[in-house]
Amino acid sequence: MPDVRALDYAGSERLTMNMGPQHPSAHGVFRAILTLEGETVVGVDAVIGYLHRCHEKLAETLAYVQYPTIASKTDYVAAMSSELAYVMAAERIGSFEVPKRAQYLRVLMGELQRIASHCLWLGTWCMDMGGALGGGATIFLYCIRERELVLDLFESLVGARLLYGFHQVGGVRYDLPEGWTAECRKTVALIEQRLGEYEGMLEDNPFFMMRTKGVGVISTALAQDVGISGPLLRGSGVEWDLRRSQPYSSYEDFAFTVPVETGGDCYARYKVRMVEFRQSIRIIRQILDGLPAGPISSRPGVKSLAQVKVPKGEAYARVEGPRGEVGCFLVSDGSNKPYRMKWRGASFSNLAVLPHILPGCSVADVVAIMGSVDPVFGEVDR
Amino acid sequence: MSFASLPPAVQSLIMGSAVLGAIVGLLAYVTLLERKFAARLQSRIGPYRVGPRGLLQPIADGVKLLLKEDVMPDSADRPVFKLAPVVFMIPCLLLFGVIPFAPGIGVADLDNGILIFLAISSLEIVGLFMAGWGSNNKYALLSAMRAVNQIISYDLPFIMTALVPVMLAGSLRLSEIATAQAGLWFIAYPVIGQIAFVFFIITAVAAENRVPFDILEAESELVAGFRVEYSGMKFAIIQLAEYAHVLGTSFLGALLFLGAWAGPGPVWLGPVWFLLKALAVFLLLTWVRWSFVRIRVDQILRVSWKLMLPASLLLLLATAATIVWRTPHA
Amino acid sequence: MHDRKKGVLAEAWTIGKAVGQAMRITFINFFRKPVTVHYPTVSRPFPNRFRGLLALTYDKETGEENCIGCRLCEFICPPAVIKVEMLKGEKRNYAKFFSLELYACEFCELCVQVCPTDAIIMMKSFDMATADRREMLLDKDRLHAIGLQYEPSWATGNLLRDMQQPPKKESAKPDAGSGKPDAGSAPA
Repeated sequence: MPDVRALDYAGSERLTMNMGPQHPSAHGVFRAILTLEGETVVGVDAVIGYLHRCHEKLAETLAYVQYPTIASKTDYVAAMSSELAYVMAAERIGSFEVPKRAQYLRVLMGELQRIASHCLWLGTWCMDMGGALGGGATIFLYCIRERELVLDLFESLVGARLLYGFHQVGGVRYDLPEGWTAECRKTVALIEQRLGEYEGMLEDNPFFMMRTKGVGVISTALAQDVGISGPLLRGSGVEWDLRRSQPYSSYEDFAFTVPVETGGDCYARYKVRMVEFRQSIRIIRQILDGLPAGPISSRPGVKSLAQVKVPKGEAYARVEGPRGEVGCFLVSDGSNKPYRMKWRGASFSNLAVLPHILPGCSVADVVAIMGSVDPVFGEVDR
Repeated sequence: MSFASLPPAVQSLIMGSAVLGAIVGLLAYVTLLERKFAARLQSRIGPYRVGPRGLLQPIADGVKLLLKEDVMPDSADRPVFKLAPVVFMIPCLLLFGVIPFAPGIGVADLDNGILIFLAISSLEIVGLFMAGWGSNNKYALLSAMRAVNQIISYDLPFIMTALVPVMLAGSLRLSEIATAQAGLWFIAYPVIGQIAFVFFIITAVAAENRVPFDILEAESELVAGFRVEYSGMKFAIIQLAEYAHVLGTSFLGALLFLGAWAGPGPVWLGPVWFLLKALAVFLLLTWVRWSFVRIRVDQILRVSWKLMLPASLLLLLATAATIVWRTPHA
Repeated sequence: MHDRKKGVLAEAWTIGKAVGQAMRITFINFFRKPVTVHYPTVSRPFPNRFRGLLALTYDKETGEENCIGCRLCEFICPPAVIKVEMLKGEKRNYAKFFSLELYACEFCELCVQVCPTDAIIMMKSFDMATADRREMLLDKDRLHAIGLQYEPSWATGNLLRDMQQPPKKESAKPDAGSGKPDAGSAPA
């Protein structure tokens, strides 16, 4: 970490500015105490914990049948990945089998969730850069309009739009209603077409390029040292996607490319996520074409609290969420509640890169970088 | 007892009050127009619940701001803080004094009208800096310093670009520039007219702190910039002054490039055409605003000094050359 | 010198094209129908499986309360918002006391899933904004009233458990239930 004192010029005054927990571009509740010299950031002190809700302790008091309904509250923007991590960890300890149809449904929901999450990312990032009264708001509203379509799909499947409770130990809770696959195909085709519009608005746009090229460069070495994951890692030249390297839940059955860019700046991460959009659509189409019939759960539907007892053991399950690697480490003592749950939040580890890349950039760039890191503070603070 | 028989002072007073009243009323509804236009660009409907189709929204906003508590920071520089909105508003309203709305109608049709217009429009910087200074707030001061920097940098190419129609018309008087477009609107002038209009739009957007050049009030970084400490009616005055400036520049653009009051129909329809053209320019500026993200302040300044200033100087030279080439020598 | 000028012009052309492209897209969107739903004058069509307010039901034929006071919902509820007391009867049991704190409810549908008699269900409505939180502490009468006031969602305990049932012998239809997606999810 660069020595803050070493950057002091003679006679220049340092300003401590608080990008406080209430800030239009804080992406949640995040406090960054910036030390500024004129316009340049020379030091950053990140303060988190404003959204801490004791999830890890809560998991010790809730049974395996109850916790998946609130697991989505950690990364609330990508709820399906969060629930999946917990449920996979429990299944791994108990060696519970998950039927093929349930695995495909999990992948389907995960990829739809990735599209919805990236829509939100693009919208809020452009809004941070462009202002709530300006072009940023326009792109934000377009992206939210598309995200609403995906949430409508979730709503007709599960009944809820943001926090689902879709996964359970042994499979999933809901099966597809009639007409859902046709609706899904229509929605996905529409989103693909609108994606072309967003790219048209941003690609080659001189203002957008000025704000994102060369800003917030994470070198390949730094990326691997600090422990970031997801699009940040792939934007810095490291080809690592859990869906490809350690496939879970039948991901090996699907053909998709893993985008890698070597730029390491905000623009590279933007390109990675835009390709991920299209690859998610590709996977969704493959699933819809080849969804096997069968049960959606290997264990009967929840009837009582003591229904799921996981044998003694521990396991760590990792999921490639839209933000990176979401992991859940469960220690079980043989009862119907975990002994200990530890959550590896993707955004928590991704935020660790900030003190390395923020010094040297200007205040306006801080906003662009925060947006491209895309933290969700439910994951950071749990 | 007709209008022309009144003493000139009384004539100016009546004309001035009429124009002022009309402009302030127009300003309120121009905010609604912008909101509804922006909403349609974003696949939504703008305000529509207050009054029929939202037409009473500006009045509701005005009443709300009147009733709001006027918060003043304890350590603010009181006289400067209180005077700043007024000093900011006055030049923006004064702009409408020099614009002729129809041949013969207008508060003052000065010999060097456009020069006065450009000079007055730069005076708002004083009010802006007073607001930033008087707030005793780091954010406000940072934004005010950026604002002064940016407006001064962009006023130069703005003036150069505005000089192109002046050269084409051969006069600084605004009404003569308008009548010189009777045959061909200056925007339709081959190549030079279009380039000049594009430059005009760019520099106008920058000189008025609108997206993509609105870094000084970037709410995502500086949370409203120099206006951050203002609330209630003072805030309303600053907002209206900004809109007045934009509207004034739209009127200027319509006059310089789109032929002002020229249009089919009887002569008394002239001001209506002028208004419509000014609103068209305003909507163009709004359309630009709602389509782009903003750029950093050092990039804004780089665009101004390295790109716009040389380009507008070249344009001016090209205009001069074209005029000399086209005018038959005596 | 000649090259540089050409480069500047070409660059200006690319920039102009990109700017025009962005403005073209906003322009296209100007003519699209707005996606605004004029709530509350117009209500959005709820999908069949919407998880809304909770309610207690009566039996369709006999008109008796469905709830037998078994307290399974109380035990399964993650935030523990349900409180039930059983009243023993001759032929069947009832719930003497049933309260649900809707302000703390997660709307996870687990209580609906475990109910053996399909007594507690969710409705297709979320309309319970109130100025006083105590109005959201629903007692048994209130829950029954909600059950009669709004349209019920598709999900009941038996239907959900049937959907999740691993197959015993032959065809267990995966597509159980008539949960049609709502018409309002069609793109604008």
